[in-house]
Amino acid sequence: MVKNTLKYILLASSLALITSCVKDKANTIRFSSWQSNPSEKRLTDSLLHCFVIRYPEYKVKFELIPGNYSEKIQLMLGTHSAPQVFYIKDFVAPSYLRYDVLQPLDEYIDKDTTFDKDDFYPQFLNAFTKNGKIYGLPKDFGCFVLFYNEDMFKATGLSDPPKDWAELEEFSRKLTKDTNGDGKIDQYGIVIEPSIDKLIPFVFQNMGSFQDKDGNLTLNTPEFQGALEYYYGLYKKNIAIIPSEVSMNNTEEVFGRKRAAMVISGGWFVPQLKDQYKDVNYKVAYLPKGKQMATIAFTVSYSSPKENPLKEESWKLLSYLTGKEGMKVWTSTGIAMPTRKSVAAQLDYINHPEYKFFMGSVDFAKIFQVDYNERWYSITQSAMQAIFYEKADIPQKLKQMENDIKSLRIKN
Amino acid sequence: MVSGDELNIKMKKNNSTKKEQQFWAYTFLFFPLMLLTIFLFIPILFSFIISFFDWELMAAHQKFAGLNNYVEIFRDKIFYKAMLNTVLYTIGVVPIQTMLALFLAFVMNQKIRGRSFFRTAFYIPAVTSSVVTSIIFVAIYSKEGLLNSLLGNLGIQANDWLTNPKTALISIMMLNIWTTSGYFMVSFLAGLQNIPDSLYEAAKLEGATQRQQFWHITVPMVRPVTYFVVVMSLIGCFQVFDQVFVMSDGGPNNATTTMSYYVYQNGFRYFRLGYGAAAAIVLAGIIMTVTVIQKKYFPPNPY
Repeated sequence: MVKNTLKYILLASSLALITSCVKDKANTIRFSSWQSNPSEKRLTDSLLHCFVIRYPEYKVKFELIPGNYSEKIQLMLGTHSAPQVFYIKDFVAPSYLRYDVLQPLDEYIDKDTTFDKDDFYPQFLNAFTKNGKIYGLPKDFGCFVLFYNEDMFKATGLSDPPKDWAELEEFSRKLTKDTNGDGKIDQYGIVIEPSIDKLIPFVFQNMGSFQDKDGNLTLNTPEFQGALEYYYGLYKKNIAIIPSEVSMNNTEEVFGRKRAAMVISGGWFVPQLKDQYKDVNYKVAYLPKGKQMATIAFTVSYSSPKENPLKEESWKLLSYLTGKEGMKVWTSTGIAMPTRKSVAAQLDYINHPEYKFFMGSVDFAKIFQVDYNERWYSITQSAMQAIFYEKADIPQKLKQMENDIKSLRIKN
Repeated sequence: MVSGDELNIKMKKNNSTKKEQQFWAYTFLFFPLMLLTIFLFIPILFSFIISFFDWELMAAHQKFAGLNNYVEIFRDKIFYKAMLNTVLYTIGVVPIQTMLALFLAFVMNQKIRGRSFFRTAFYIPAVTSSVVTSIIFVAIYSKEGLLNSLLGNLGIQANDWLTNPKTALISIMMLNIWTTSGYFMVSFLAGLQNIPDSLYEAAKLEGATQRQQFWHITVPMVRPVTYFVVVMSLIGCFQVFDQVFVMSDGGPNNATTTMSYYVYQNGFRYFRLGYGAAAAIVLAGIIMTVTVIQKKYFPPNPY
């Protein structure tokens, strides 16, 4: 008797659960993102809240993916269970655009008279465009700039940040010193890392590129080699430090803990400096000029899956988040820079003492994106490690690297 | 005297109990078997199948690739590096770990003061999450970490253990020896407690020293346990993953890329699931071969 009652209760409750799920799913937009830090999650929550207040007829469910983001999204796309709106990083966008899994947004953009896609800086929109079709809308951007410690500069008798390669080296030499007199260097000019992302701006500054106009990676060029020799040279001459040598995880930490006077980083570092490293008196500047001004920019899109029962609803959310209103809410916190010209003008970031360097970089910043299997990145990373840790021969490594990467080009 | 009818009835009874027993056996087996089928047998079969495909998660249709994945694996330089690293790792870890485990068990089996404290202390690494121990060891191995500061007292120059390609693999090996010795010590302890005291008593009467007792009684008597420990640690070493994932990401310059890390990298970092599956099948083949060889030439009980 008791057993039977229990059974019915169980059955009824599970039925209720199922129906409530179905009902809930019917008109709720599922939204997924990663989280670089807890404050980003809070901001996302409040942005979605703004959307729901503006359009009370819609419901949004925020499904945070805290780790292995791209793996999870790809798995969800492959198993037909992707959220309706999610982030895609520019760096991995080509591997998504290769497949027919994302919704082209052009027809929605054209229909929506208030959206105004020409308001976007074109290079960010291009990062998610393939064969003339737009598969994602850039929500914001960041780029590499130079952060420098003003106190250290003053103590060394320097007033301005380095403007070119020669000054970067000269200043780094002056700033590298033993401050407590124990015979060991405890302050370095700049902190760098054996990673290709930080090297690429130098390649562009050296009038080079790492890709030809067809998108093939060209690493074995005089410009690339020149940039690598300069970059590695800073470390070899003992005026730059790498994080592992001072037992730290990343370059930002080395700068924040005052072991280096300069660091190359992006806008994402600003909140950390304000929360964690309050005593660091930092300033922002453009990356030093080589033969020309250059840096790389990073952008993230909001995209939708092709297989999506809520296309209209998803567009509503997408267009709000990347529209003038949503983007203003998002970027007014300074977490990242707006990809819309009008929003940048409205927030007056062009004249902001810090943000102006990010906004000003847009003129010469390039997107870091290749049409290769992700393995190319591991190969270059290994090569950089071999150069830094094993003092491998640079020309030989470049040749080998280019050779190893060749077969990884994605055929379309 | 038992009449024919009675015998029949008895037989029937017996038969039915046997049937009933079987019924219940399968009933109880059903659930674990179902779990194993869903989470083990089907995935193994599935990964075997996809190893013949150019399997891409997001592609609408999967391309059949025949043996291409296998051919490519054997042409990949990194694969050989991963193989070499795995073999070096296994050769370094298994003997030391086994001997250390046996030695610890032997000591812990003596009547010494604070025995349970030491047993617990040695076993703690085995029950601690490998991610936690890995993170602790990253700190210990770092340039300004504990190991360098200890070595510095002896006048040895600081080394960045995990970013130096020469020491990265050895560092991970040392960590693994430390964590698993305690685990296998427990297996050996169980084996030691099964050795009859009379053997030691007889040996003592004959005037055997501790060392002689260890080599001539303990070691041969725990041979089945040793066999088990070696098999388990061989398999564990061939599959080493978490420490590599947490501590070095296979770097620097692939110095710590092991077979299972290679599988992971290709499957989930480069999104070539078919290729990753093929590498996993190769790894499984290697482990199986080694185990068979071991079973043939080093049987658990040769007597």
